[in-house]
Amino acid sequence: MKSNKLFFVASGLVVFASLQAFASDVKVIANSSVTASSVSAGDVKDVFLLDKDSLGGSHVDPVLSKGGPAHEAFLKDYLGKNDAALQAFYRSLVFTGKASMPKSLGSDGEVVAYVAKTKGAVGYVSSGASTEGVKTLVVK
Amino acid sequence: MRQVIGRLMAGGMLAALALSMALQAQDFKLFDRTVQTHGFGSQGFVYSSGNNWLTMDTRDGSVHMTDVGLNMSSAITDKFRAGAQVYDHNLGQLGQWHPQLDWASLDFRAKPWLGFRGGKVKTTLGLFTDTQDLDFLRTSALLPQSVYPIDMRDANIAHSGGDVYGRVPLAHGVGKLDYTVWSGHRNDSMHGGYAYFLQYHGTLENSYGGLQYGGDVRWETPVKGLLVGVSRLDEDLIGIGTRAGLPNVEKTKKDFSNQFFGQYIHRSLELNSEFKRQYRDHILRNGTAEDQGNLHAWYVAGSYRIVKRVSAGGYYSHYTATSTFNKILDTSLPNGHVYDKAISGRVDINRFWNVKVEGHFMDGYALASFPEGFYPQQNPTFAPTTKGLVLKTGFNF
Repeated sequence: MKSNKLFFVASGLVVFASLQAFASDVKVIANSSVTASSVSAGDVKDVFLLDKDSLGGSHVDPVLSKGGPAHEAFLKDYLGKNDAALQAFYRSLVFTGKASMPKSLGSDGEVVAYVAKTKGAVGYVSSGASTEGVKTLVVK
Repeated sequence: MRQVIGRLMAGGMLAALALSMALQAQDFKLFDRTVQTHGFGSQGFVYSSGNNWLTMDTRDGSVHMTDVGLNMSSAITDKFRAGAQVYDHNLGQLGQWHPQLDWASLDFRAKPWLGFRGGKVKTTLGLFTDTQDLDFLRTSALLPQSVYPIDMRDANIAHSGGDVYGRVPLAHGVGKLDYTVWSGHRNDSMHGGYAYFLQYHGTLENSYGGLQYGGDVRWETPVKGLLVGVSRLDEDLIGIGTRAGLPNVEKTKKDFSNQFFGQYIHRSLELNSEFKRQYRDHILRNGTAEDQGNLHAWYVAGSYRIVKRVSAGGYYSHYTATSTFNKILDTSLPNGHVYDKAISGRVDINRFWNVKVEGHFMDGYALASFPEGFYPQQNPTFAPTTKGLVLKTGFNF
């Protein structure tokens, strides 16, 4: 009986985890002009790899952090690239005239402040950072 | 005078490096639009034993390997952007500090799957044609010369014309397709490798270029990090110059290239491989001669980022070419091939500045329809093998 209880608890945890939104040490934030409230992880990747410039019908521009734990977590969880590869990717586009370099900021506070005041901006901060003035997107 | 200019450029590059570290990429506003500026440069030292290489006197050691580029661009609207880049370089007897408009384009991306680009546009052909000058993107100091000969960069690096391009998600989760279809005019610098090569054969070119058109399709596969693709290039060229003081014309009868490529990236590991086949049939000397040439080139390359600022890599580059006019028909002979084994190391001093060291072990000197790094002007007699050392430093901002 005890083993059955353990089995059901474990199964419940697995089901619970699968129903959660995309879990990460970062949260994705957007300017209030962005109409989407929830997005897919694929959409986030497409925005930051410059394959997509709109979410829910609103034009968006990605904003990066220059480094730190939130930056590393975002690269690993969403983009599948390390920082050197991401910089090389952007530079290959910038130096062939195909894109502009996304804005890059030094801290969670700077990212939040920039996203709050910039129409269409989408960024990421650590999960515990204050997000006053911006909306947090639910990533499925 | 050109040496003075060269020294000034090198000094300017060092100053730009210092400035770049201080300023980073600069944005400014113009008519309420943000304009970004970015730049890059590199300086190399090359030493070789066997043959002199890349039009430099490398058997004595040469520092005549410098390039710089500067661009400005702006997103005019959400879907429309404009920009331009100037480029200047010296590679031995090539380049000679004649600045060029590297690219200048208007780009309208109507949808993710449909965009239009026009002006002087970098050509999407294989993995690295459009980025071959951007040394800071790679571990290696030189790209595999079988497919990306630095002395022949003018051949296909850019075209004056237009592209239609896009990225299409495929159904059932089988990845994405990127496509580019393009057409334009090629216009070679008279300080490029082919014009310099022809001088040895008594021809002074005043112009060389013509129509180029082609396409590129690449598949970002469902296997994470795996990309495969194919490119095609056709061209119809004309060279106008003089030979022994009399007018001389060279024209294309048929000239096409097929290029197949694959790339795999997993964390710090990157593997690349390409195969290129070019068939070239040109009418020479005002129609009195014909040259049919077959080029087969391929390479396999790998690099690994060992720690955050140190990476290592290597490649094997294989090039064979025949020429009926020059009677190069047996590619097993040194004048019909270049086989190159290269090993590289890179250290990033900071995010703007890198240093590279690279060794090359080359067999052959391929002298078919056009050069492959080895020129008769620097090599009155050719050695069958060449060893080369390349030291290079570069910056970008």
